[in-house]
Amino acid sequence: MGRVLEVVGASKRFLGLQALKEVHLHLEEGEILAVIGPNGAGKSTLLNLLSGLLRPDSGRILFLGQEITHLPPEARTHLGLGRAFQIVQPLPELTVRENLMVGALFGKPRVRRKEAEAWVEEVLRLTGLEGRAEALAGDLTLLEDKRLELARALATRPKVLLLDEVMAGLRPKEAEEAVALVRRIRNAGVTILFIEHLMPVVRALADRVVVLDYGEVIAEGTYSEVAGNPRVREAYLGRQT
Amino acid sequence: MRGANHLPLILLFLPFALLPSLPLGGWGAFLLDVGFFVLLFTALALSWDLVARTGQLSLAHGAFFGLGAYGAGLLAPQVGTLPALLLGAAVAGAGALILGSVTLRLHGLYFAIASLAFSEVLRTLALKLPFTGGPIGLPVPPPFGGTWPLAAYYLSFSVLLLATALSLWAEKSPFRLAQAATRQSEAVARVLGVRVIRVKLWSLLLGSWVAGLAGGVYGMKTLFLSPYDAFSLGRAVEALVIPIFGGLYTTLGPLVGGVVLVSLEQALRLWIKEGYLVVYGAILILVILFLPRGLVGILGRRRG
Amino acid sequence: MELLLQTILNGLLMSGVYALVATGLALSLGVVGIVNFAHGEFLMVGAFLSYLLFAFRGTDPLLSLGLAFLAAFGVGALTYQGLIRPALKAPELNQMLLTFGLSILLQNLALLLFGADTRVVAPPYQATTLSLGPFFLGAVPLGAFLLSLAILLGLQVFLTRSRLGLAMRAVSQNRLAPGLLGIEAERVYLLAFGLAAALAGVAGVMLSVMLYASPTVGFIFTLKSFAIVALAGLGNLKGVVPAAFVLALAEALVSTYLPGGGGLVEAVFFLVLFLALVVRAWRLA
Repeated sequence: MGRVLEVVGASKRFLGLQALKEVHLHLEEGEILAVIGPNGAGKSTLLNLLSGLLRPDSGRILFLGQEITHLPPEARTHLGLGRAFQIVQPLPELTVRENLMVGALFGKPRVRRKEAEAWVEEVLRLTGLEGRAEALAGDLTLLEDKRLELARALATRPKVLLLDEVMAGLRPKEAEEAVALVRRIRNAGVTILFIEHLMPVVRALADRVVVLDYGEVIAEGTYSEVAGNPRVREAYLGRQT
Repeated sequence: MRGANHLPLILLFLPFALLPSLPLGGWGAFLLDVGFFVLLFTALALSWDLVARTGQLSLAHGAFFGLGAYGAGLLAPQVGTLPALLLGAAVAGAGALILGSVTLRLHGLYFAIASLAFSEVLRTLALKLPFTGGPIGLPVPPPFGGTWPLAAYYLSFSVLLLATALSLWAEKSPFRLAQAATRQSEAVARVLGVRVIRVKLWSLLLGSWVAGLAGGVYGMKTLFLSPYDAFSLGRAVEALVIPIFGGLYTTLGPLVGGVVLVSLEQALRLWIKEGYLVVYGAILILVILFLPRGLVGILGRRRG
Repeated sequence: MELLLQTILNGLLMSGVYALVATGLALSLGVVGIVNFAHGEFLMVGAFLSYLLFAFRGTDPLLSLGLAFLAAFGVGALTYQGLIRPALKAPELNQMLLTFGLSILLQNLALLLFGADTRVVAPPYQATTLSLGPFFLGAVPLGAFLLSLAILLGLQVFLTRSRLGLAMRAVSQNRLAPGLLGIEAERVYLLAFGLAAALAGVAGVMLSVMLYASPTVGFIFTLKSFAIVALAGLGNLKGVVPAAFVLALAEALVSTYLPGGGGLVEAVFFLVLFLALVVRAWRLA
């Protein structure tokens, strides 16, 4: 099984604004793929298409060989496509443990409560949240929030995990910890697609990088290949000065 | 409630179970009436809370109540008391499914307004349809042919027990997490695999069944239904103020709130014929401003 | 044909008052961001004020209009200070419940004070009709219609010409515009909420003659205004007048042409409200 996730010619417009244009993209089993691009390049739209919060105007999305273009988010989660949000969205009135239980119980159809509880313990350990299990999710620090975001997605037992700028707002030391955590998740057998605009994080994590600009894929390759690409430099420097 | 501490519940229910057998003399009949309404409207409040746990703030509970009342009232002469009550609840459930399936995408506020409009449309229909008795009203036979004076009281008690059982189940089972996640963020809930549409529809359906049952029992007690009474918005007001006052998203909150507020209401009705809802309006404002977690919230803070 | 035209005429005349009330609701929704369930109760205050002045002082409702404007503005401003301002940052549902609570409170307070009876203000010219060829125009509905249009035009001028009006529109177009938070926005909110209430109060005086004053008259108009505002597009002031016309017309047609239509009139509004919300939600998604 090579390609776990494949986007075939996906396009999306919002009120006349072309957010994504004929995007082709694929994800190999076991890899960590970074999707980068300047602000407004369409990264978040892409992630929303993948997780089912938006539907493409045209094009198809395949997951494990199955077409999922029109499946609702919960059905995609059940198939093994998990997602963490950019803006941290805890369920604030539930504890950390309960947040994870939501993912563990409903992330797959018909999970027994005992199984879910055991799995939540494991995820808590893996993400270093054991000590905060009983805290209300509304009371966490930013770093803990980000961990919760990852942990909750992990609790759904994904085969592929979509991460939306989960490092944003972290201090370098914290980002390092988060990078280590993402690696641990990959080593546990989860394929990862992440959006990021902190370049050190991309360099440290990504096996492969795809660059979006104005809704189109303009480059693809390893970090150093992409970083040397003139179109990429132009896209970034052109607007970030 | 997570420590399975049922003591408060038992303490709440015990007086109502004993009430019919207490030697109350001249006050007996009055207190049984008060008890009947406390039990019934508390059940209605619990059924509202059951729906509110998914973030759907229903103003249609008066309509579910009315559908159950009219359904049971119209059918009771043909099929007997218990089948009529169940069928009445089924009618209320059908109404809930219609409302729920078209309002799936409406959030918070707009669901509330749509449910209010739905409720008013149904009340107009009840006034206009040929078989409801229109504005004149509909006579309803007493339960079980009127042979057992306490029947309505015990039916009311049963509806509350059922509502409490459903609420406790929803609170203790994984359903609670599905409801809470749906309420706090639908997008997050869906990405975590919660089938929010099912959760919302089931919650509305369960709530409407209980409300419909309560309506059916109400008709058998008052022996007469009119659209203004059975479908009144006032019913929806009571159904929502009680849980907010007692403590939202809990079983104990609506129970405590119901016992306090409905008793108060019945007492006030001795002096005030109309306009007693003034109290509900004032309580709603005060609780929202100063007591966001309700009575149970105060108790909870002291304990923990 | 004549009946149809007369019906359309009746609908047209009614649409002015509807637009007046609904504009108030749209103003508080668009500018302050509050869905005000108690909007109709401001109307009720105006209607009862008109009734009381007429019954005890013999005041002509025409004179009550100005008083009702000021009184309703005051009630609106008090409501804003006491209930809305403390809850501006609260969840939307809490805001809704607050105004819903106020609505219940005021309705039932009126019920306690005045009873459930409907009370009509009957000045000498109440039943005067003008004939226009084969058609009849009630003097009061015509006056109310023209006055409503005049007030709405005045509001339009205020919103497009005055500094405060412009600030109000700026706030409505971007409720979180950072420069406008603080004292300026507070004043704009207060003014908008008071103005919204005042529009309803004036409409209440008109309705005390055309319809009646009663504790529940306001709530009916809250719902009707919700329907108009939902049809116009939430918070869209410009759409209110045409939406009010469409609904008033539909109402007039139903009450003329459907047997026993009188009771179904309200159902028209509720159905439109329900469908407008549902359609909007499915289209947005």
